[in-house]
Amino acid sequence: MSRVGTAAQPRVISPQKRRRFFSRGDKFTLGFFIGIPTILHIGLVWFPALATIYLSFTYWTGINPQDIVWAGLANYENILFNTPIFWEALRVNAIWLGWFFVIATPLGVLLAYQIDREIRGHKFYQSAYYLPVVLSLAVTGIIWNFLLRPDGFVNGLLGLEISEAISFFGDDRYNVWVIMIMASWRHIGYIMLLYLAGLKAVDSALREAATIDGATEWQTFRKVVFPAMRPVNVIVLVITIIESLRAFDMVYIIYGGRGGLPILGVLVFENIAGEGASMKGAAYAVILFLLSIVPIIAYLNQQFKEDDR
Amino acid sequence: MLNKIAGHELDRRLLLKGAAAGGLGIAGATMLAGCAPGSSGPVSFGARTVDESPTIQLKGLVDAYTAKTGNEVTYNATEANAFQNNLSQYLQGTPDDCFQWMAGYRMQFFAAQGLLVDISDVWNEIGDQYNESYKIASTGLDGKQYFVPQSWYPWGLHFRKSMMAEIGLNPEDIYNWDQFMGALEELKGQGLIGLAAADKGGWEAMGTFDILNARINGYQFHVDLLGGREKWTDDRVKEVFRHWEMLLPYQNTNVLDLEWDGAMQLLLQKQAGFFMNGSWFGANFLEQSQEDYDDLWIVPFPEINPDHGRDTIDAPIDGFCVAKNGSNNAGGKDLIKFAGDMEGVQAQLDTGIPMTSANNGQDRSTYDAFQNQQLAVMSEAKYITQFLDRDTRPDFAGPVVGPAFQSWFKDPSSTDSILESLQSQWDALPPL
Repeated sequence: MSRVGTAAQPRVISPQKRRRFFSRGDKFTLGFFIGIPTILHIGLVWFPALATIYLSFTYWTGINPQDIVWAGLANYENILFNTPIFWEALRVNAIWLGWFFVIATPLGVLLAYQIDREIRGHKFYQSAYYLPVVLSLAVTGIIWNFLLRPDGFVNGLLGLEISEAISFFGDDRYNVWVIMIMASWRHIGYIMLLYLAGLKAVDSALREAATIDGATEWQTFRKVVFPAMRPVNVIVLVITIIESLRAFDMVYIIYGGRGGLPILGVLVFENIAGEGASMKGAAYAVILFLLSIVPIIAYLNQQFKEDDR
Repeated sequence: MLNKIAGHELDRRLLLKGAAAGGLGIAGATMLAGCAPGSSGPVSFGARTVDESPTIQLKGLVDAYTAKTGNEVTYNATEANAFQNNLSQYLQGTPDDCFQWMAGYRMQFFAAQGLLVDISDVWNEIGDQYNESYKIASTGLDGKQYFVPQSWYPWGLHFRKSMMAEIGLNPEDIYNWDQFMGALEELKGQGLIGLAAADKGGWEAMGTFDILNARINGYQFHVDLLGGREKWTDDRVKEVFRHWEMLLPYQNTNVLDLEWDGAMQLLLQKQAGFFMNGSWFGANFLEQSQEDYDDLWIVPFPEINPDHGRDTIDAPIDGFCVAKNGSNNAGGKDLIKFAGDMEGVQAQLDTGIPMTSANNGQDRSTYDAFQNQQLAVMSEAKYITQFLDRDTRPDFAGPVVGPAFQSWFKDPSSTDSILESLQSQWDALPPL
């Protein structure tokens, strides 16, 4: 679109005037490329999201729309005050988040850093750690379930009968940690790859300059490389939060819908799908949504404020 | 499990394409094209199992139907838990015309939501082949029939005759709780698990709760409790858990790591003396070998409170329904009528998979010894219950009672707080 000839006019162009620059074809193309995705987005994302929020304040079996009854805050009250499994699930999700934040994600970053330095065999490590990322979490669950269930590979290798088998998934003392290791198996590779891509983009002159100034390896990473990687850091953080809160597939594959190891994602499903459908599930979904979105929005806001400064 | 769902979707899509092509469906075309289509056209059947024996049995049924009527049947199988979890979405979407389901509250709920086809006219034709109690179990809250029974099975104490004989125990002599505890102690002394138990699926232990409650507090209290007319915080319920706790030292310790088939393995491999479960798993023993099947036996759970003796039993009825949103309601009804009629029952029996049919036409003289024993266990009971998750609200049984029992296994000393929480969650349920 040419600006020639408009230079002398006021900078603010009225909408009517502007519209003339679009030909019919332009309008059609724009309408098509913006309109269709917008309709899809509203229909498939915003409508279900808003409907879920509305339904979380109702009683409904999920079948006949005329049966929807306004319930006020009853579903939320029920979850917060009468449902001990909600707090158990919250605990597991919190452990999950903490584990990813403190152990899995830093491990991924460390691996990325080591591979970026091209240590011996880095190509092999890179492929080996990235391999699990190619698999969906559901497949991860199936593989690990095959290994660790009472009649599975590991117990078989140890020569343990079903009755004596190590209860990897049943025993409360360590089933959380077994699941954490399974989830990390994939998460570490994912973070590694993201971070590796970021590291490749960091100007090597920065590092050389730091080395010439006498910075140690750790100082270079902390004071030079890490700050230079801010956009990637934000993505990694957001992914860590989302992955640990939305966890569902792997646990569902291993435990089914019932609460062997309760997590919020499974509670949403168990209460909204199947025979026991009630809008308590919608309320769980809204709680999960708030838990995921609030810290992320708060963090991003703060980041953007710093950028503006 | 997800593969199974995906496979199911694919089958349905194939079916829809088939319907669009005017009955010359892909599924139908690739099958034998020799039979002329009957009046009700191609039908689809949804099986709630992917296990070996029941699949043979159900395929026997649909093949016999096709052979008789010439109507093609598309057989879609889904793993049982996945099928249950998706049932309400399934019934609202494009379900199979006729599908496998359960009697009692679980059927009545979906009938009340208008998702099942009223098959009272089918009952008018085949009803005389069934006892009144089966008709009642097939009847919705509006007094119409929505279900045709296939088979029943009792829940009781299963054991291996050879194993008990070796130890010198005769479980058929066990009548009351003390004798039962004595037998468990004996088994423990032999280094065996007394009672194989599972609850990873969240429903397996419900059978033990049902029978303990019925034995201690009687049928009426049990039914009232599940109907919300009695309280979970009642001392009588605590008594149930006190007895249950006495069983724990004799159970395998990895209850929460095993599903029902894991516990069954303990019995099959002679690591456990007793297994409290529904007798349907006899078919799994038969899959192993005829010897294993012949070795299997069942006795009723022992008496605890002499007031109630052994007068109650969980004996769930499985069967079929017709889905209203199916593409061929008439065909679904035709198939369900065949399934309920002795002709269809015979086709299932002819597969050689053991089945105790609900149909009076099944000649009981053809029962094998284990089936006769199931019948004897059943006949001793005066009251028949379905099962906890079929006798109470679905939004209570699955999401609430299941996890509550699981957390009780983790910490049996927390009975009081678990029962309080069960009651408060019942109170918080939406009004029906």
